[in-house]
Amino acid sequence: MSLLAPALLAGLLGLAAPVLAHLLGRERPREVPFAAMRFLPTAEPSVTRRRALRDLPLLIVRLLLLALLVLALARPATQHDGGVTMVAEPHDAVVLVDGSASMGLRVDGQTLLEHAVEQGQTLLRSLPAGTRVGLVTTDPDGPRVEPTADPSRVADALARWAERDVPRPGAWPLQAGIPAASQMLTDVRSGDRKRVIYALGDATERGLGGLPATAEGGALVLPIPAVPEDEALPEHVGIVDLTWAPAPELDPRAARVDAVVRRFGAADDAAPRSVTVGLFIRDAEVARAAVTLPPGGEAPVQFTHTLLEDADVLPARVAVLDPTDDPLAVDDERHVWLAAEDAMEVAVVNGDPSELRAHDEVFFFTTAVAAKDEEQTMAVRGLAPDQLSERVRKRGAAALADVDVLVLANVRAPDPDVAAAILERTRAGMGLLIAVGDRVDADAYNGALGPALPLSMRGSVQVGTAPGRKEARVEGIAPADLTHPIFTGIDGEVGLSGASARRVMLLEPDPRRNARIALSFTSGAPALLTRPFDAGRVALLTTSLDRDWADLPLRPGFVPLVSGVLSYLGDTSRGSAGSRLVVGEARRARARGPVVFVTPRGAEVSIAPTDGAATFEDTYALGHYTVRIDGAVDSVFAVELDPGESETTPVQTDDQALEDVEGRVAVNVPQWRWLVWLALGLLGVEAILRWRAR
Amino acid sequence: MSDRALALASVVPAPLRELLRSRALKLQRPVLGRRLGRHRSARAGVGLDFRDHRAYVPGDDPRLLDWRAVARRERLVLRQTEAEDELSLVLLVDGSGGMAYGEGSAQKFAVARALAGGLAWLATRQGDPVGLAVGADGIVADATARPSSSPERLAGIAEQLQNPTLRGNCPWPALFDAVGPRLPRRSLVVVVSDALDPSSDGVPTDEADETFLRGLASIRARRHDVVVLQTLHRDETEFPWTDRTTLRFIDLFGRRKPREGAAAGMREGYLAAVAAHQSRLAARCEDEGLLLHTVHTDEDLATAFLGLLGRFEGAPQTAEVSTP
Repeated sequence: MSLLAPALLAGLLGLAAPVLAHLLGRERPREVPFAAMRFLPTAEPSVTRRRALRDLPLLIVRLLLLALLVLALARPATQHDGGVTMVAEPHDAVVLVDGSASMGLRVDGQTLLEHAVEQGQTLLRSLPAGTRVGLVTTDPDGPRVEPTADPSRVADALARWAERDVPRPGAWPLQAGIPAASQMLTDVRSGDRKRVIYALGDATERGLGGLPATAEGGALVLPIPAVPEDEALPEHVGIVDLTWAPAPELDPRAARVDAVVRRFGAADDAAPRSVTVGLFIRDAEVARAAVTLPPGGEAPVQFTHTLLEDADVLPARVAVLDPTDDPLAVDDERHVWLAAEDAMEVAVVNGDPSELRAHDEVFFFTTAVAAKDEEQTMAVRGLAPDQLSERVRKRGAAALADVDVLVLANVRAPDPDVAAAILERTRAGMGLLIAVGDRVDADAYNGALGPALPLSMRGSVQVGTAPGRKEARVEGIAPADLTHPIFTGIDGEVGLSGASARRVMLLEPDPRRNARIALSFTSGAPALLTRPFDAGRVALLTTSLDRDWADLPLRPGFVPLVSGVLSYLGDTSRGSAGSRLVVGEARRARARGPVVFVTPRGAEVSIAPTDGAATFEDTYALGHYTVRIDGAVDSVFAVELDPGESETTPVQTDDQALEDVEGRVAVNVPQWRWLVWLALGLLGVEAILRWRAR
Repeated sequence: MSDRALALASVVPAPLRELLRSRALKLQRPVLGRRLGRHRSARAGVGLDFRDHRAYVPGDDPRLLDWRAVARRERLVLRQTEAEDELSLVLLVDGSGGMAYGEGSAQKFAVARALAGGLAWLATRQGDPVGLAVGADGIVADATARPSSSPERLAGIAEQLQNPTLRGNCPWPALFDAVGPRLPRRSLVVVVSDALDPSSDGVPTDEADETFLRGLASIRARRHDVVVLQTLHRDETEFPWTDRTTLRFIDLFGRRKPREGAAAGMREGYLAAVAAHQSRLAARCEDEGLLLHTVHTDEDLATAFLGLLGRFEGAPQTAEVSTP
């Protein structure tokens, strides 16, 4: 224990004042020798109280109060050296501060980030003279200070940053800040001075727990916990997942909302805890439920709610109602848009139906969709080509209004009037998948759907009869272009290796069409091409969907391929099911004109599209977003916290063995808070004493 | 002037002595002295004044026959005459610390001494034997307790009263035990005290009051005359401190802890307690046949003494203890 302002202890001399006042202020009684003492009343109360020993407790209490006041002003603090380890010689350093949401955990009335900033200020004050120090935070909007010999600049930047609305969701893990800090140190490298990254954060997996001992480039990484590692962090609860699905078995407009509540940071032997969560639609609570959570455990909560409003989508959120004083509030609610209907409508026009299912043109395709689509987010409708023609002729383009993706499987070619409707819908955002086959008439396609085709068709050829390719009887599938959006979520093996095609559709090269090849044959000929067509997208498979031309459907990669193609074409991000983004994730909206993004705070951001899509990147606020195109609501999405940011359970960090260079900085932990509590207690005692003496 | 004369002069002030020169100590009732004196005797004696006739019984001195009466009544009748006996005066003086209250001539003991000395002086002048016992600081000084009419006795009394101890308690039970059994018949016992707090160490005051009065009553029961000459200071009966100044009362007996307080706050309770005590004392004296005479130290000493003599002769108490 030490005092930060020991000189103020001189104030203890002031304690003499009340004692002197007490002694000098006493009334000197006149002494009267008296014989008839037995008739005097036993005591005359007020005078006795003023002078006699019964004053003493009050005096002592008041003196203690004064002493506590002086002590508190002298700011006693204990020093612990568990937190800050630093290099004792002048060196180049970067202070790397964790700005992620988990740093918002309140410990002793302060957030972890505030603790970390305090630690950082202590560190900056204590750095050896001559040290150059810079600042990097994992907050994308956080300050960045190049290494400077003036630590106060870093301290100022840190203080200003801490006054902003931080920590906020969407910050990078602490580990992701290491390269930037390392680069900063490399840039200012001079001689063989030591280079150190002081990482300030919490001891979680995304924080100090995931740090290497040495950064790339040789800089030492010294973790500095925001609070001492031996200090227990408070536990908190958070909603880590929120999904919804239509519940048509209950009601055509019923929705089933599933949330997962998790309890973080509780001791293993802690008692189970009851948590109440509520479902809010448009900020009105419609349901609540209580779950009991074991330490470190999670529990599912399911709400079913019938959407009473006639709106297509409704903003909903699930929030923790009890406990109300959760130390980490940012994960206490999650947002979602609810809709009565969610499935993507896929219309498959079967150009070569068959009695035998395995010979049916779309058998493999529909099987793949059903296999992948356990949640029934896709509704597949089969149509014969003449059914399509009939409907379109009857209702025009409106016949395709509900269709999100239209699949033309081995269809000869749509009639011109039908093709016009298809083109109109595709321009407006419908996806179009064209799979070729024996029945496809290349010229008719070029004539009917030519503007939408990724490349014009030339005609099909048997592999091996193609010019220059006489030696091979089949054409293999080359490794896929994984950067293509179709393969989002697939890394490594697509599962199509070994697939081959005996017959393919040849295409006319045309760079102006802006087609993108997702899959190609080993010969270099494109197998699967995509092309944005205004707000819609078109994909062309240059071989058949069934086994007539290729064995693609037999490969394990066929199911994810179908799913990826449909997701890409249907633009799942536009529907309510695909409307969830993790904070910080960019959102694209396809449009020809400017797109207005409405943030949860009501701000409207207008973004002009480039290459047919507007990209909105500032998704750092949690909540409901709306996308408007031409004044009408085009789509909605909700931004939610990465569940990893809720994790506050500390992981064991290795103590760095740095005997040769290490100097430890004592961190002063204020101890005057309990003095204040004690003083308040004494005030109560004093009041009681005065009341009793009255 | 001899030392003893000086002692007497200091005990009895000159104006009082001058006053007493023409006064006599008389009792309302007859006395039974061992020797001839100046007091009307309770029995017939050899005086000159006719008292009564009584029938002759064998053994009577025939010279006492009243022949004229015998002739008238035709039976033997003796003529009796009044006798005058001496009166034994025994003074029991309280020399406790409480008697030291008051300044100079207003000190309670000074007044008590003057009254006791005056009585002794008056008695000695009349030829009555006088005895004195003083109780002070827990000790009984009873060397002069047996009544004597010698001039040395008066000087001895004066000497004893001149330098009192005035400390501690007056051991009343011991004093009564020491004096009571040795009293001549029908003595006049004058107890000079403030009678406010006759307790001794460790004895609760109410019980001490009772002991004190019972002791006096037992003396009275032996047909002695008992006079309680209560000398009080005006402060003790009227409690003149009325403001809020803090007073610290110190026990003159030295056995109670000092008490502090604002005088005004204590006054009411004190006065009520004193008045109760006084009325209780008066009632008990009345019951036991004791004569209670109260003298305030601020009264004129001569007047007070004349009042006392008047009480002896049967006059009522003229001034009661005033209790506002």
